[in-house]
Amino acid sequence: MLDNYLPILIFIIVGILVGVGPLVLGYLLGPRRPDSEKDSPYECGFEAFETARLKFDVRYYLVAILFIIFDLEIAFLFPWAVALKELGIFAFWAMVVFLGILVVGFVYEWKKGALEWE
Amino acid sequence: MGFEKFLFYVLSLITVWSSVMVITRKNPVHSVLFLVLAFVASAALWVLLEAEFLGIVLILVYVGAVMVLFLFVVMMLDVDIATLRAGFIGYLPLGLLIAAVMAVEIFLIVGPANFGLAAFPSPEPAGVDASNTRDLGLLLYTVYVYPVEIAAVILLVAIVAAIRLTLRRRPDNKYVDPARQVRVRKGPDRVRLVSMATEDLAPAPAGATIADKGESQ
Amino acid sequence: MPFDAAQLLPILPEITILVTASLVLLVDLYLDDQQKDLNHSLTLVGILIAIALTGAVGGGEARVFFDGNLVRDALSDLLKGSILVVSLLAFVYARPWLRDRGMLVGEFYVLGLFAVLGMLIMVSANSFLTLYLGLELQALTLYALVAFDRDSRKGAEAGMKYFVLGALGSGMLLYGISMIYGATGSIEFGPVAAAVAEQEISNKVLVFGIVFLVIGIGFKFGAVPFHMWVPDIYEGAPTPAVLILGSAPKIAAFALAIRMLVDGLESLHTDWQGMLVILAVLSMGLGNLVAIAQSNIKRMLAYSTISHVGFIFLGLLSGSQQGYASAMFYTIVYAVMSAGAFGILLILGRKGFDAERLEDLKGLNDRDSWYAAMMALIMFSMAGVPPTVGFMAKLLVLESVIRIDMVWLALVAVFFSIIGAFYYLRVVKFIYFDKPAEDAPALLTTGGVRFAMSVNGLALLVLGLFPAALLSLCQAAFA
Repeated sequence: MLDNYLPILIFIIVGILVGVGPLVLGYLLGPRRPDSEKDSPYECGFEAFETARLKFDVRYYLVAILFIIFDLEIAFLFPWAVALKELGIFAFWAMVVFLGILVVGFVYEWKKGALEWE
Repeated sequence: MGFEKFLFYVLSLITVWSSVMVITRKNPVHSVLFLVLAFVASAALWVLLEAEFLGIVLILVYVGAVMVLFLFVVMMLDVDIATLRAGFIGYLPLGLLIAAVMAVEIFLIVGPANFGLAAFPSPEPAGVDASNTRDLGLLLYTVYVYPVEIAAVILLVAIVAAIRLTLRRRPDNKYVDPARQVRVRKGPDRVRLVSMATEDLAPAPAGATIADKGESQ
Repeated sequence: MPFDAAQLLPILPEITILVTASLVLLVDLYLDDQQKDLNHSLTLVGILIAIALTGAVGGGEARVFFDGNLVRDALSDLLKGSILVVSLLAFVYARPWLRDRGMLVGEFYVLGLFAVLGMLIMVSANSFLTLYLGLELQALTLYALVAFDRDSRKGAEAGMKYFVLGALGSGMLLYGISMIYGATGSIEFGPVAAAVAEQEISNKVLVFGIVFLVIGIGFKFGAVPFHMWVPDIYEGAPTPAVLILGSAPKIAAFALAIRMLVDGLESLHTDWQGMLVILAVLSMGLGNLVAIAQSNIKRMLAYSTISHVGFIFLGLLSGSQQGYASAMFYTIVYAVMSAGAFGILLILGRKGFDAERLEDLKGLNDRDSWYAAMMALIMFSMAGVPPTVGFMAKLLVLESVIRIDMVWLALVAVFFSIIGAFYYLRVVKFIYFDKPAEDAPALLTTGGVRFAMSVNGLALLVLGLFPAALLSLCQAAFA
């Protein structure tokens, strides 16, 4: 069974090489003369005032959670689409009901302005 | 078989190690990234069990979406790790004791005595063209159609609850709606010509005249 | 696969609630602030139709639908009816409070209706999967309802606590279910029961699974030692949310216990009986003792809930049909009492003020003697004073434990219920023998609320005098 995954293994290896290779090359070949001033964080020459972490707006969270919901819906759609030919008309209507329930939520979030970024 | 076993142990080791890292890192962002690693390794374990669809869904949903949400939440909150960890050492012995007891219990129950190969012989490997996405579909939309519809309702509730709890109108926002800008018609919306009777230029103090002129322009 | 439309018949009440909730959700988007009462009317109409449909499709032999995911039997009929009726009361009580605080928005009704939908799904579940999904649907909406008042820090804290502990409880339950599935190879109650009876696999795995199932049930009921969330959530959440959370979900939790422990695992009765005894004794003891020390009435009612849960477990653990029926009777009666008690608290509140301290009840008799009488009835019933129905309910569960020769348990229960009577009667004393505060304004109420409260309070008296009808329904469910 694992033979089927050989192309994927090769793909992963090439991917890792492409990602790691340049870094390793830069590390090996580039000149490095570190000193304490160079390595300390700076803001246009000042000392850093505060941590670089900024608090995110709660709106990102809302967008992300709405995305997850429709992402999960996709997870239900895949098996349905693959098996639809054998399942026939009943499964089609089952999915219509499933999507209908979610469309209610979609109308709600659209009309409520949750998709807008004021 | 030998190589599969080797892969299994490597992946399990990565899963366990990254899970431990999740709860011991000081920086929550690092914790989230280790959680991603744990999910990827578990997905690989599922693929090893020939549950390909679940493996893909785990990456698609958890790594792709849930972890992004986690990152947002971690960024959103100003978590002060030092105060959170204040009681950590004090609770550690009790916590470790309970965890150890639980682990032993679980091992005794789930271990080889009850769930070994004797009780559950390993199933025949599926054929090359077996598709467990299709098999899942065949089950989900026939036998389990009622639970699937309930799942849709749960997702709907999640939408309503998330919007109710986090969406706030911000009336003080200076916000430009491009759609309304584009919809402005050239004539009536931009300039309004008002017809009115002519007004006498009555003799008045000099200052007032200037002010009037300013207004009429 | 050919589909038999008759499959949809038993879920007509569920479909009605789903359609109503979706309708309210969409209609609310187009309503002005003055027209929000339409949400309320739609919700009530939907619940009334669902009650009618429950009666129409109910009755007859137990039948399994949707390939074993759903069952319609006498138990599901009665529990569905009670959940809908109690929720109807809750929505009626909540309206003036919500309108006063500008929270009369569609989302409250939508979330409430979805909670009802989750409970309906739970009581008619015939597999662990359906049961769990119903439970999650109900729990998710309740988390949101607890945090419904977005500007309240206490509400947000309560919501967070409820969410974390609720998720922990669900996780325990799910782990137990996975053990049962591992041992029996099925998630449907019928085959699970058959596999357990065969005893093919070692008993240890099943018992290990049952431990986690009982922990999950304990969490959902709020039984000691899994009660930590109850007082904080009752205190922090907005009162209408507590009203919804504290009444009908107990009926659903009862169904959760019955479906899993009795439908699925009754032959392991000796294994789960011991665990329920511990939960029952601890709940009755801690609930009643700590309730005495409370000055916040919502916290007091929270501890009183915990003690009542102990009594419900008494009926469950007896393992006899009579015991299950008495536990069911007790649960339904408790849901009605709890709805009434929180309804009174809602009536006492007004804009910017919630009745939270026991003193807020002082002199209720001088302010409105009818509501005072109803509250007194509710308190008498909770304390188990004859002739109210609370007495009958306690008597029945005690009888069921005496029948299995656990007299000591019955004595413990009587002892703690006598202690418990103290704090209920203290409330009655506040209502009748104390003067109201000088600045106490008129009560905020409407004709509908008065009517519903009268039905609610008098039902406790009438059921106490004539318990036979409800009791025979409960007994029929387990015959």
